[in-house]
Amino acid sequence: MEEETAECLGDLLAADLDSGFTELVRVHARDVHTFLLRLSGSRAEADDLGQDTFLRAYTALQGYSGQRRRELRPRAWLLTIAANVWRNHLRSLARRPVSAGRVEDAADVWPDSGPGPVERAETADDRDRLVAALSELPAQHRVPVVLHHVVGMSYSEVAEVQGCPVGTAKAQVSRGLSGLRRLLTAERPALREVTA
Amino acid sequence: MIGPDGSVDPGLAALAGDLAGLDEEPPQGFALRVLQAVGISRERYDTYCRLETAAGGLYVAFGPQAVTAAALTGPHPDPAAFEGLHRRRTGRSAIPAAKPFPGLVTAIRTGRARQLPLDLSALPQTDRAVLEAVRTIPAGQLRSADWIARDAGLPAATGAAEVVMHALGANPMAVLIPCHRVTGADGTPFDLPDGPEAGDRLRAAEGIDLRQVAELAREGLFLLGSDTTRIYCHPTCANARRITAAHRVPFRSPREAHHAGYRACRSCRPMTV
Repeated sequence: MEEETAECLGDLLAADLDSGFTELVRVHARDVHTFLLRLSGSRAEADDLGQDTFLRAYTALQGYSGQRRRELRPRAWLLTIAANVWRNHLRSLARRPVSAGRVEDAADVWPDSGPGPVERAETADDRDRLVAALSELPAQHRVPVVLHHVVGMSYSEVAEVQGCPVGTAKAQVSRGLSGLRRLLTAERPALREVTA
Repeated sequence: MIGPDGSVDPGLAALAGDLAGLDEEPPQGFALRVLQAVGISRERYDTYCRLETAAGGLYVAFGPQAVTAAALTGPHPDPAAFEGLHRRRTGRSAIPAAKPFPGLVTAIRTGRARQLPLDLSALPQTDRAVLEAVRTIPAGQLRSADWIARDAGLPAATGAAEVVMHALGANPMAVLIPCHRVTGADGTPFDLPDGPEAGDRLRAAEGIDLRQVAELAREGLFLLGSDTTRIYCHPTCANARRITAAHRVPFRSPREAHHAGYRACRSCRPMTV
């Protein structure tokens, strides 16, 4: 099924870029958004970065030959772009931690509808703890874990996004998952101490 | 999770299951914002939204000029199923949107969808003629397959009812093309393609008194006349519903009414001899 859609999308993109791209957005918007949401932990950022991802994808597709578009594995290709967009975003955040010009625009900035720190602490159920732990995981471990376990990609697709052999991708996912469990178990005793 | 020695670690497996639950729907309009940001022409894709009707949820897809599809949520419960159906039927992508087509909400609330622009160009000529005829049935009224066949200009041959039923079965615009207002020669609704339950709910919402129609049909009476005006109508016609009991004259057939010196109503246009 997945292969069929992918193959079909490649043909669509080769036949007509605009309508193929529309179908690409319809089928894969969810995966791209989920991936960026779980990497960045913020809905507003996932929305911005997601748009950036598809814009880059469209620009790239314009320069591709029909043959190259046909051979594309669209999901892995899109998430590779999304991962790059996110890394670039992290880098620019590190370079410009707070931009002074942003203050007066602050009112226009899209409000992040996700729960704030206080709400998050109040409703800290398992799901929220998992989300919090995921955001503490080092970036190089977070990407493969989200790709395989949240988005549901196969190891070969993860390998394609990460640009590494399949065996390495498996190891990265497994190491990430163990790291996540360590973070979750380390958190619990601390909580018990506070509530006691 | 399968370890290097082939053993399964239950803790990690549970964690993987929890992670799979973190997959969630993108916010309303995300895909649409992407397409607008990239600058894809609005002509290249359809948008769709979900509306509530008496028969349950209804997905309606539309382009910039016209509505292109409508399907009840019964047979297509989740958005992905509807998107797939739309893609197979029309070859166009349906992108979720918050804003419905202009006039759509009113059309659904009042049951008057006749003025709504519908794109039926993908259908064969006969089916389209039949469905256009079905669209002219006013809200709250019923018409027989014969009536539809005559209005659609089908050749007066036997099997006209089958042609009508085929077109109803292929109706790509559930609720918006009111197939629930079409009955067989015996007065019972066909309820194609969405089944009697959805049909009953839609008719009840329009105030069609099926019991009265069924009672008349059981006695073989399909037309009502008024002895003050000497006009005969379909029993559900707005003009027939206001004939007082004392003046109501039922007929079996247009021929019988004609012989009694009655003429056909000009608004519901029943069959003539």
